[in-house]
Formats: sequence, C-alpha cells, structure tokens
Amino acid sequence: MQPYELSLVRAADAIRARTLSPVELVDSVLDRVEKVDPQLEAYVTVTAERARRAAREAEQDVAAGRPRGPLHGIPMALKDLIDVAGEATTASSRVRADHRAESDSTVAARLAAAGAVLVGKTHTHEFAYGLTTPQTANAWNRDRVAGGSSGGSAVAVAAGAATFALGTDTGGSIRVPSALNGVVGFKPTYGLVPRHGVTSLSWSLDHVGPITRTVEDAALVLAALAGHDPRDPASVAASGPVYRPGGATELTGLRIGVPRTYYFDHVAPEVAAAVRRATAELQSLGARLVEVEIPMTGYIQATQWGLMVPEATAYHERTLRTVPELYQADVRVLLEAGALMPAGDYLRAQRSRTLMRQAWGRLLEEVDVIAAPTVPATAVKAGDETITWPDGTVEGVSDAYVRLSAPANITGVPSLSVPVGHDTAGLPIGMQLLGRPFGEPVLLRVGHAYEQTRPARRPAAV
Amino acid sequence: MSTAMSAAGLTPQEAALGADRAGFPMPAGRHAAVAATANHIHSVVAVLRELDFGDTPPAAAYRAGEEKTDAAV
Repeated sequence: MQPYELSLVRAADAIRARTLSPVELVDSVLDRVEKVDPQLEAYVTVTAERARRAAREAEQDVAAGRPRGPLHGIPMALKDLIDVAGEATTASSRVRADHRAESDSTVAARLAAAGAVLVGKTHTHEFAYGLTTPQTANAWNRDRVAGGSSGGSAVAVAAGAATFALGTDTGGSIRVPSALNGVVGFKPTYGLVPRHGVTSLSWSLDHVGPITRTVEDAALVLAALAGHDPRDPASVAASGPVYRPGGATELTGLRIGVPRTYYFDHVAPEVAAAVRRATAELQSLGARLVEVEIPMTGYIQATQWGLMVPEATAYHERTLRTVPELYQADVRVLLEAGALMPAGDYLRAQRSRTLMRQAWGRLLEEVDVIAAPTVPATAVKAGDETITWPDGTVEGVSDAYVRLSAPANITGVPSLSVPVGHDTAGLPIGMQLLGRPFGEPVLLRVGHAYEQTRPARRPAAV
Repeated sequence: MSTAMSAAGLTPQEAALGADRAGFPMPAGRHAAVAATANHIHSVVAVLRELDFGDTPPAAAYRAGEEKTDAAV
C-alpha cells in the first residue's frame, strides 16, 4: 500500500510511530496528484513547494518530539472558497482572476495550527452556485459528473490526491459530491464550524465541513475545526465533546428513523436498496428502526430557494453590477433573477424555516438519528441536465441532487454522508445520517459502527 | 396552489424594469432569459403563501439547538 492510499487515522498512526515521515506522505500524495489530476482536474492550484516545505518542518517537529496531534504532517486540500493567506481564492470564477487572500480563514488557520499540510485549492462549481462542478471529473468514471459544489475536494479525496479536504455545504455541496465519489462528507450543525474567511453563497444556509475516506477521519478533522469565532455571527460556543468514536460497534437502544415519506420518493431503486441494506446492518448492530414522517415536505424546495436565491444575489451585488459578463451563464442568470425576488417571498421562507425547525425538533425527539439516501441517484453523465423517473416525472439534475440535502441546511441539523456501496455501473452510493443539533458524536458513532461492518475502502483506481 | 400561482409571469420588459428598480440594469439581450428564470423561481417559492404563519417570526439569524418544540405548525 502506498502512503497516499492511507486513511488519515492510519497515516497519523504511522507518523506517530515514525514508520512514515510527513515528507514521504506528502511526496506520495503530490506524485498521485501529478498522475491523476490531468484527467480529473480536481485542483485549481497545487501548492507543491509550500507543501514540501511544511512537510519538512512537520518531519523535524515530530523527530524532535513535538507532535501537534493527529493532523500533523497530513496532506489536505481546501475548496477554493476558503481563504489561505497569500493564495488566490478563485471560487473557480473569472470574477476572482486577480484575487489574493490577505489572511487565513478561521478553518485554514486552525488546520495550519494543527500541523495539516496544504496540497492545494480545489475546484468548486462557480461560487458554489451549482451541483455538478463541470471542470472536474468523477473519480470513478471520467464521463460522469463530480457532483458539487465541492466537487474538487471530494474527487481529490476519493482519488488519493489528498488525505482529507474541506468543502462547503449550502444545499448539499459537501454531501452530494461525497456520495457521488464514494467518500465521507460531514455537514456539521449550523454555527459549529466558523465561516470567517470563507466565500459565502447564502449566509443563513452555508456550512463548512470535512470530506474524508473514513468516518473516524471526519471526527479528527471536525475536532480541529469546531469552536467559537466571534467573526462569524452564526458561530456558537461548542462544549468540546469528544468526536472520535470509540472502538465499540454496539448500537443497542439507539432509535434510527427510517423516513416513510420524501427521502425514498423518486429515488433510484439501486440507491434505495443499498440504503435499506445499510439500515438493516445498523439494526443487526442493535439499533431499533422506527418509521418516521418527514414534516412540511411540500415546502422544502420553496424554503431553500426563498432563502438562497436573494442571499446569493445580495452577496454578489457589486460584481454583478460591474462585471456580470465574467460569470458563467448558469450562475449569472440565477444571480440576475434573484434581484427580482420580492422581500415578502424571502420573509415567508424565513418564517417557513422557523416552522420547519420546530417540526424537525419534534421529529428528533422520536428518534436519535434519521437514515436516508444522500442523493436520489448516482453520478449522471456529464452534460445530462435531467433525470427521468420511472413514473415519467422529469427532474433537473441539480434539483434532484439538492432535494434530499436541503432539509439539513434549512434546519441546521448535522448530516453525515457515508458510502454504502456501488450500483451496477460501479458508481458509489451514499447514505446520510441526520441528527439533533450538536449531535455530531452520535452520527459519528453510528457511521463508524457501520463502517466496521464493511471492508476498508481504497481510493478510486483512476 | 392555484391562488398562490395566479400572478401572471413577468414579461421581459417587466423583468427589465424590475431589475432597473433593484439597481441591476440589464442589457436588452438578457431580459427574456432573466424573466424566464425569475418566473420559474417564483413558481417554486409561491407555494409558501399556502402556509398559515400565525405569529411565527422569521428565523433570520438563529442559534441551532434552541428549538421551541411545543409550538404548533
């Protein structure tokens, strides 16, 4: 096994035991980037020199008995919406052609303090306003979409071109590409991870979180990211729980909600079957499956759009006025149309969100976790714009990919996407575990327990 | 849903006027595409008019984990 194939946990163990040096690990990942990125185009920028320098420093620190913890010397990728001092934050857009970040975002600073090594910045659907990331190819099949908007981050992790990565999630943008590329994606509770220095799509829906190869890896990254920062108005003081799951896979007494409505409607049969097999696995570990009713399903898309569309236009107001021609066509027209939404529609969406949060609060008193598909279909062919369901309904690809993710963005509840197999075309399938606000430890425990029942995952062959 | 959807869609000219008033004057070539997208967005968000909000306040800035679970929907 090559170092680039190691999970974060295994790489950290090897670094601590001094059987692997950060220099060997970072070189292995950089070689992998050089080999696979010409086909996948996950990266906007590869910071090879900076990474090699940081790896040498990490190696010296470890050798001198100054280990900083499990992320020390681990190569990572950051979605190119996340500021790193001295680097461009391009948002994969021509609008940002001359950009240079003056200081680190909170998450970049926290990861640097933990000793993580930046390998590069990864592609996003332009300004995170889309679900496919057209620049980047799926790690399992180059003719398929990467998913988005954190497509570059998910593909890099899936292909072994980063040991872990960060993404952002406004309507599924961490979980969708994670599911479509067979990696773990974690959208934490709204406010748990500060967004200072991260380009916004929609302030009231944006989250930052990890994309990793295992659930345990996600726990280690989350532990480095969580914690209050007053520069993000939504940031909350976390009580500092232990995120890393223990070794036990026992789930006795845990109530896992399986939605009767919404989450299994218009879902590809192979996706639904894989998720039901995974929930049966959780049952065999001792959890009790409980059928649940998802509230207000007829208002989810309306609430998501009513919040996101005007907030995105507001964020882009200045550049939409001065350089509209620099945006890609799909993003430009959404930003322009957003200027025409009346304030009344936005307020109704905000009031609907209040009702939805209350209803989800009651739902999450009945069960501890809800298990559901992350996305209703596996990765579509690049260029496909619609999915036709067996009953003849035609749905836009972006609408389909957002559909099952949006409730967690609207309500702020945490959602962890875990790979649960492949369809007959060999494309990955994801299951999401949703929990109570700040219930991250429970989701990590369930996700980790499930993973222990499966063979270890390897990076995509590419 | 029929009452929520009854408002006629924007024409390209109305979209141009609305964009102007919102501070985003658009070149003529954009009006039809923006009107079509705005009309689609309207058709999605208009269903929120069916909800009886009572005294429900907008969420705006909020803190996750501080739900009042006794309120009626």
